Amino acid sequence: MLKVIILVIISELWNAAGQILYKKGLNELTSMSLTTLGGVIDFLKYVFTHPCVWLGIGSMVVCIAFWIAALAQADLSFVYPIGSIQYVFVMLAAHFLLGEKLDWRKLAGTALVVGGVILISMT
Amino acid sequence: MKPGHLTLKIIALLVMNDLLDSVAQVFMKTGLLKTGIHSIDLTTIAEFTVRSAASPYLWAGLAIYVISFFLWIVVLSRIELSIALPVSSVCYLLTPLFAVVFLHEQVSPVRWLGISLIIAGIYFVSESKRKSMEAS
Repeated sequence: MLKVIILVIISELWNAAGQILYKKGLNELTSMSLTTLGGVIDFLKYVFTHPCVWLGIGSMVVCIAFWIAALAQADLSFVYPIGSIQYVFVMLAAHFLLGEKLDWRKLAGTALVVGGVILISMT
Repeated sequence: MKPGHLTLKIIALLVMNDLLDSVAQVFMKTGLLKTGIHSIDLTTIAEFTVRSAASPYLWAGLAIYVISFFLWIVVLSRIELSIALPVSSVCYLLTPLFAVVFLHEQVSPVRWLGISLIIAGIYFVSESKRKSMEAS
């Protein structure tokens, strides 16, 4: 099962990279309306011309390839919860790359997620 | 600044996103089970790639996953992550439930306990984000 856990961890590292990239690209999107066809077209035009979004999508493709390799070799109810390790990676990236502050809630939450992942990896 | 609160429309989008994500995983796992390859190494990786690339279930799962990904982007453009996150953590309950019902997987009490810890952890992380938003 160690092989599967390593594959999930690699997948989720790419996922975290992708999330940070496309989140960066999407921060300017708030004013767009998606209730009209024109709005949806503008949204797609924006999404597919932004380099951060493209890099993010590229990272997600790598993430999915590793995810499939993991999912092929273990139960879905095993692989999926272990994927929650992404929250730890995103938090660390937000702290070290974006300078987000850590507080006891974040650390406690992360400890709970890690505890859950360790429990599941023993099953 | 984004509107901080959940509207009915946003909740509907989030629930839809959770459901689609879980359904996508079930489809993908179904396709992967049908490849008949349960261990990937240097001797099986070529055959695995060919068989999984030919699996309609896997492609259907990927397509549903892409739709849920776009829904998630739409949600994140409307509300803060700290509000979207606890609602989206429902899929950590939903996906194992679907795995039991549709894939007949056995989930031990220890695994359920681990899942509960994860959901509680996600709640704490998003609670921290909400507090820091209120403070700023």
